[in-house]
Amino acid sequence: MPQMGVSVAEGTVVEWRKQRGDWIEADETICEISTDKIDTEVPSPAAGRLVEILVQVGVTVEVGTTLARIATDARPGEAHDVEGARPPVAPADGTSDGARPSPGARDPAPPSPPRPAPARAPSAAPAPARRGSPARRYSPVVQRIADEHDVDLDEVEGTGREGRVRKQDVMGYVEARGGVARPAGASPTEPTLHIESPYRPGAGASLHGPYTPPEGRPLSRMRQTIGQHMKRSQETAATCTTWIEVDVSRVELARKELGITALPLIARCAIGALIEFPLLNAWLEGDNHTVHEQVNLGIAVSLGEDGLIVPVVRGAQDLSPEGLSRRIRDLARRARARQLSPDDVRGATFTLTNPGQFGSMMATPVISQPQVAILDVEAIIKRPVVVTDQFGEDAIAIRPMVILGLSWDHRALDGAVAARFLASIKKRVEGYEA
Amino acid sequence: MTEMTYLRAISDGLRTEMRDDERVLLMGEDIGVYGGAFKVTDGFIEEFGPGRVMDTPLAEAGIVGTAVGAAVVGLRPVCEMQFADFVACGFDQIVNVAGKMFYRQGLPVNITVRLPGGGGFSGGPFHSQNPEAWFMHAPGLKVVAPSTAEDAKGMIIASIRDPNPVIYMEHKNLYRRIKGEVPEGSYETPFTARVAREGTDLAVITYGAMVHTALDATQDLDGASIMVLDLRSLVPLDEQAILDAVRLCSKVVIVDEANQTCAAGAQVAALIAEFAFEDLDGPVVRVASPDVPIPFSPPLEAVVLPSVDRVREACRQLLEY
Repeated sequence: MPQMGVSVAEGTVVEWRKQRGDWIEADETICEISTDKIDTEVPSPAAGRLVEILVQVGVTVEVGTTLARIATDARPGEAHDVEGARPPVAPADGTSDGARPSPGARDPAPPSPPRPAPARAPSAAPAPARRGSPARRYSPVVQRIADEHDVDLDEVEGTGREGRVRKQDVMGYVEARGGVARPAGASPTEPTLHIESPYRPGAGASLHGPYTPPEGRPLSRMRQTIGQHMKRSQETAATCTTWIEVDVSRVELARKELGITALPLIARCAIGALIEFPLLNAWLEGDNHTVHEQVNLGIAVSLGEDGLIVPVVRGAQDLSPEGLSRRIRDLARRARARQLSPDDVRGATFTLTNPGQFGSMMATPVISQPQVAILDVEAIIKRPVVVTDQFGEDAIAIRPMVILGLSWDHRALDGAVAARFLASIKKRVEGYEA
Repeated sequence: MTEMTYLRAISDGLRTEMRDDERVLLMGEDIGVYGGAFKVTDGFIEEFGPGRVMDTPLAEAGIVGTAVGAAVVGLRPVCEMQFADFVACGFDQIVNVAGKMFYRQGLPVNITVRLPGGGGFSGGPFHSQNPEAWFMHAPGLKVVAPSTAEDAKGMIIASIRDPNPVIYMEHKNLYRRIKGEVPEGSYETPFTARVAREGTDLAVITYGAMVHTALDATQDLDGASIMVLDLRSLVPLDEQAILDAVRLCSKVVIVDEANQTCAAGAQVAALIAEFAFEDLDGPVVRVASPDVPIPFSPPLEAVVLPSVDRVREACRQLLEY
């Protein structure tokens, strides 16, 4: 179990990508693991043959535990115990002319049907020679077309220089074969022509009988982890929530000019306020109170129904709104592609959550421990508000407004500081200058 | 539509834009009273006066530097380098001043620098070069190189209107040799590539005078269907058009009249290697001038510059591959 980031102590095997007996290249993914921070792929430390899997799917082990053994003295393509146990297989058709005439159990050629070989494996098996010609090499486009149409390039007559197979040769071969060589329904990508109707006779009957709920399943690992963290926070912190209403006219103008969303601009204002009120940029662990100078901004990223993850923009105080926007987008993209490293989600000193994109107006977010506050940015909605002009005259104007909600830990600070912090954000947002 | 030479089309574009926009002025050596070494600005000083058609000293750094200043205060100068080769004297003003002014100070430098380039008439090493790649390597500049009369006019107008410094490569060997129908009035040709001839077996990618060489070389090549892609703009480079051509044809010949090393075609070849690898059915082939000065001697020059025969032979070899 590799050390995936400094704080990770244990991990669970989620899936084995390779099975016993498979050949694996160095850095090819051997299995997937899940830690309390993140799900990730494990690259193979060496090339060789997977001879033993020691930790089965679903089992959690400590960092440093051996997951599997790889025989590094094995060679790709050579017989091994798993293949050797299979019954002897006939050699590939027509390729053995001139070869040793004893296609038996010890034949070094790969068995048929063809096994998917690793793309870059240095092939130790004899290269298929055609009519005594030297080993053929194919251009990238020819290989791609052959792969897409499942063509054995040994079968294709080459018309290029020295019998080279050209693009038009392989395309001509595919066209000539079209419909004849390929048995009906053989293509796995063929879409079904009809979608089965969901209607079932008699389904309505269940409305009258006793209700039979569908079978329950254990909560996903991610949901369990989120649940534990959130529950622990509610049991630990003395959480209060304070709201403030902010006019975002200037931010809206600036973000349109920059071609980015409002979030990084509001984040920039919040970072300014955190520098002014460092009590909000802090950790409280028991009685140990750490106030940070650097702002490591956690950004909650929804992963749909699976859950959410909070990647961290480190050193956010040094970034412009455009820089923040780029970092947030990059982290969100990698989060959704499940490509975050454990260190991408560690060390947040303050968290921003932004569920307002769906139109919600207020929330009481839960603080991510051991931080002492979390800022919730809700939907930007145009509202009539009272504005005062330069002569002190009041008027009603239509302005884009947002409600910012701050959940804060009463153990670490008091309501006055929280309110002043929010007022500082409001001042920065309403007076925003690019 | 009027039929005119490539050279007249440039004049027509300059005149049209000067009539439409009084911020446009011309600067260069002998462009006024004499009408320009190649007569591109013949008659301009009579129409627009010496205030807008300025004869300058033989000092390219001074021409470009003055133009940058004029652009910063809101004018749209068009500088003529008498021969593209002479631009080396104005290099610092273009690369370090014009190209970086917007980055450093937010001031757009709306200048156009016309570079009559290219060989084919025994002009020798100081009057035949194709220096476009020097400027492709410097951030902040655009580089365009039209090959037809219609594009020559549309691109000089687009260059003048573009807020960036634009290096406008005009090929001397096209000036009077190439004629074409040119629309009346004002129009802009976009800085994108143009398919000069459709084809599916092989694509020749080139620009400027070599577009015509490529068209001649592949007019009838054993019945093969050969695309000729005219890049027209080198910065920005129309990467999509290049990759589309490779995906369609799978075989590519890239032709530069410039010296081979680090020429515009080298960038095209690198792009194809990186983003169209899986569509290639043969090596990316380049035809360019070898890395030598352009000779005065007519037979030697004919050997150095990419000829119709060389391009045809390269295409034939690749088709057979």
